[in-house]
Amino acid sequence: MQVTLKNFTKTFDDTTVIDSMNLAVNDGEMLALLGPSGCGKSTTLFAICGIHRINGGQILFGDRDVSDVPSQKRNVGVVFQNYALYPHLTVFENIAFPLSVRGDSKPDIEREVRAIAALTHIEELLARRPAQLSGGQQQRVALARALVRKPDVLLLDEPLANLDAKLRLEMRSEIRRIQLETGITAILVTHDQVEAMSMCDRIAIMNKGEILQIATPTDMYRAPVNKFVAGFLGNPPIVMLEGRTSGDGRFLVKEGTSLPLPARLAGMPGDTPLSLGVRPEHFGAAGANRVEGTISFVEPQGRETLFDVTLDDGVVLRSIQPARDDVVFGQKVVWPLDAEKLLAFDVSGRAV
Amino acid sequence: MRTRTSLLGLAFVSPALALLFAFFLMPVVLTTVFAFTNMSTSTGITGGSHVITGNLLRDLGNAGVDDDIVAALSEGSFSVTPETLAAAAEAGVEPRFLGEIESSLMGQSFEDARSFESALKALPSRPTRIRDLKLATEPFERSILNTRYSSRAAMETAIASMVPDAPVDTVSAIAEASYTGWRWIDGGNFQTLLDRPETIRIVLNTVFYVAATLAFNVFVGLFLAITTFYLPKTGAGFFSVLWLLPRITPVVLYAVMWKWFTWDNGFLYVIAEQLGLPAFNYMKGSVPTAWATIILVNGFVGASFGMILFSGALRAIPVQQLWASEVDGASRWQQIRRIILPQLRWPILFVTSYQTLSLLSSYEQIWLTTNGGPGSTTTVWALEAFNTALNNYTGNLEYGMGAAMALILVAVGLILSILYLRMFRFDELVNKPRIEF
Repeated sequence: MQVTLKNFTKTFDDTTVIDSMNLAVNDGEMLALLGPSGCGKSTTLFAICGIHRINGGQILFGDRDVSDVPSQKRNVGVVFQNYALYPHLTVFENIAFPLSVRGDSKPDIEREVRAIAALTHIEELLARRPAQLSGGQQQRVALARALVRKPDVLLLDEPLANLDAKLRLEMRSEIRRIQLETGITAILVTHDQVEAMSMCDRIAIMNKGEILQIATPTDMYRAPVNKFVAGFLGNPPIVMLEGRTSGDGRFLVKEGTSLPLPARLAGMPGDTPLSLGVRPEHFGAAGANRVEGTISFVEPQGRETLFDVTLDDGVVLRSIQPARDDVVFGQKVVWPLDAEKLLAFDVSGRAV
Repeated sequence: MRTRTSLLGLAFVSPALALLFAFFLMPVVLTTVFAFTNMSTSTGITGGSHVITGNLLRDLGNAGVDDDIVAALSEGSFSVTPETLAAAAEAGVEPRFLGEIESSLMGQSFEDARSFESALKALPSRPTRIRDLKLATEPFERSILNTRYSSRAAMETAIASMVPDAPVDTVSAIAEASYTGWRWIDGGNFQTLLDRPETIRIVLNTVFYVAATLAFNVFVGLFLAITTFYLPKTGAGFFSVLWLLPRITPVVLYAVMWKWFTWDNGFLYVIAEQLGLPAFNYMKGSVPTAWATIILVNGFVGASFGMILFSGALRAIPVQQLWASEVDGASRWQQIRRIILPQLRWPILFVTSYQTLSLLSSYEQIWLTTNGGPGSTTTVWALEAFNTALNNYTGNLEYGMGAAMALILVAVGLILSILYLRMFRFDELVNKPRIEF
């Protein structure tokens, strides 16, 4: 089921949180609404499922305009951040709830609940109560309850935020597996770029109530439309250097260092103010240009090691490399910089 | 070290324990003690003395004591003995007159006042005024009637001297019956309650009152809590305060307002009259309206209590659960019925049990409004106990009987509490605080 938002506007009292947003989620796609807290991503989600009434525009499920349909009749499945399981009901009753309020027959409910429990791997938990489950199990129950009604859209509101790191990894792939197996259209709200990138077909990145870019994770990482997107994606984050073009294919950082520009920008006129983004993986691995500096920080991360390199004039570049312990704090290094992969943004923050 | 710590703890707790004992346990202990006595205004709560009264003699006669003995006890006689002379000297009878009495009448006895007075009149230095003469006879009177004896032995001696041929056990029984203080009567009060025809009526009244008021409390409380829960915030605050008024209004003022509302020429009366409906004193004019008044007066107080607790519990349900039930397709009624009410189980049980106990022992509002009337149709157990022990119209307050009635109330309350605790497994509910994320 395709979900379309047309000029969607949401205000709380006098504050406009989202102004004329347009978004289309394709049938069977899993789309992430990614952004920092307060960017309006959860508001959008709650508007889609009908918990919040919209103040302007339209929400379409397929061709059906559901803008004024109450949430009971929208046929959406929602997984809430705190799972919102009903504590007084067993797992079975929790999952059966959407079916039993609809008035399905007992054998039907039994069959559907068993089927969805098998899909989410919680068959043996059906007799327990939510309080007797671990976080990951509660997550699966919430997912089963959201899916049991065969909703048109599955909405996930920060579903992994309350899990510990290991479970988060496990549930990430589980949710994706279940979404792919059911072929349901899903929208995932998250502030975690790794979740968004690893689970979703496409990412809609939001800031201050606005969608900045919609793209596949790879495209978005490689070609962010602006500084905000470039800064939001990537861990460890990108390093932004402010400066000006020299006019001869180089970039002069305001502290004084001169770095090469990518070939596609070599023709830029001189003295144009720019921001140059250097991702850690593009410094220290490969490339034609060599940059000299002093190791000012070392962070071993097991498989990789993260370095901060301070150049002579104080500019700090970040480098991530396969684990190595031959370089130590305070050591002078000369590492390659892959100039072609550098990202450049104009004064307004747009990519150039 | 451990013992020292616990001793220190005990020392710190001891003032609280002493206060607890004085103010909480002592009343219960005293009630229990009183319940097995016949204490009343006439017996007092300290000891008494032994005295034979006219009423007692009549009761003794009715109880089958020999008429001769009763007659003998009721008679008085006058005799001149060293004791009576001494008493007369003490009472201030003129010494010369006294000397003449001693010398001429010593050892004599007179059947009645008239013969003694005529004997005295023969003496030369008799008082000139008849009144003084009559006063002078008094110390010589030997009568057991209305004379106080501080101990039982003294009473027995006195009886024996009046009726020397009376059997010993009769004397002892009379002396026993002449005691004016309170005494232990074992289960006498409870037996009396069992035998009284109005007891069953009061019990039924109490059961009806508690059940009806409780139902009103819980259902109206729930209704108010749920409706205010779904109201917009500003309106909800206003209504919460409105429903709290019965609870925060001083009880007497609240009762007076109900009087204005329901009495002759009160609010309801005037409206009913305008509409051509029967207009009368609804509070005391008929049994159904009297009951309605009592149940509403108490019901609104309790309903606001229920509402506060239920509202708190409602707000404790994470809003995501309500959202989840909505997107799961539950209508508002299904949401209330299947998500909200099951989670209000604990507060509902708490209000039910707490209100049962407090309603069982409450009488203030009834006392201030219908006062159990018309007749005793709305008299409940607690009100009857209060009236018996502390508010008797004739002035004889029956502490013992009142305490017995109160003790029954305490026992019923205890049994109900235990039942509630068992039935609702409070411990289990309390032991499992659940913080849901």
